[in-house]
Amino acid sequence: MAGHPLITAQLDVLAARLPAPAAEELADGLRETYEHRLGECGDPDRAARTAIADFGDADVITAAFLRQSPQRRVALTLLAGGPVMAVLWGTALLTAHAPAWPVPLAGRLLFGGALAATVALLLMTVRERHSYRRSRAMTAGALASLIALDVLMSVTAAVAGPVPAWPAVLAVTASTLRVLLVLRVLPAVLAR
Amino acid sequence: MRAEALKGHLDGLLLATLEDGPLHGYAVKEALREVTGGRIDLPTGTVYPALHRLEGAGLISGAWGVANGRRRRTYRLTEAGHAALSGERAGWQEFATAVTFALKARPWPATP
Repeated sequence: MAGHPLITAQLDVLAARLPAPAAEELADGLRETYEHRLGECGDPDRAARTAIADFGDADVITAAFLRQSPQRRVALTLLAGGPVMAVLWGTALLTAHAPAWPVPLAGRLLFGGALAATVALLLMTVRERHSYRRSRAMTAGALASLIALDVLMSVTAAVAGPVPAWPAVLAVTASTLRVLLVLRVLPAVLAR
Repeated sequence: MRAEALKGHLDGLLLATLEDGPLHGYAVKEALREVTGGRIDLPTGTVYPALHRLEGAGLISGAWGVANGRRRRTYRLTEAGHAALSGERAGWQEFATAVTFALKARPWPATP
């Protein structure tokens, strides 16, 4: 059965926002809805408008998929663990007299900026309501950045710091666990 | 019936529609509408995220096939889904009984 331009336009909106398998499944559902309405009323324009109204708003459908997306769960988990990591690393850096380490100011500012950008990306992932793809890209960026920051911080603490103390050991262990967690969930976040 | 009124019960309703055999998303929506006499008529598009959530929880499993020249995903209950549906039924019956008793009209107290 032939489609309708309104149906095609609605499917284009959903395809631009959602992963291909979900968009394909929704396309089948919307076309099925349209065909039933067309069978009932016989008027293609009316059937298309009714089918779109019956099917539901693209914003609502996208938001529902995003609420249960793996990237949102990962972002929430990492944000929830953020304060604990901050306390661990804060304690480790203070007890190791980190302000006296031979790290240039530009490097410190760059690290701080990257950390702030990572947190911002995670927060934006949690708040994203309109695009599954954008949400996935933001999470992937945040996870890559987090791995780099954890590795960099651990190496710096080991090289520039004094004899390792237990706060630094705890912080490096926590960072290692976080890197392992991120590597484990990364395939699910990147999956189409 | 408004979608908000279904909050907390949607999973059980969707599982129940799949009890008799595999269905695709639109058929799940239609089955729910028919079995409730039109009282529960969800926007079709909102059924799919719910089905994906149930699949992620291992309560249903989806498989792609072809129908009317289109690729179509159908869902069936898993063993865990059957168990969850039984739990939903028992919980609902207990809840419904309690609310029925609580809301039962009482006679006016006799005036002295």
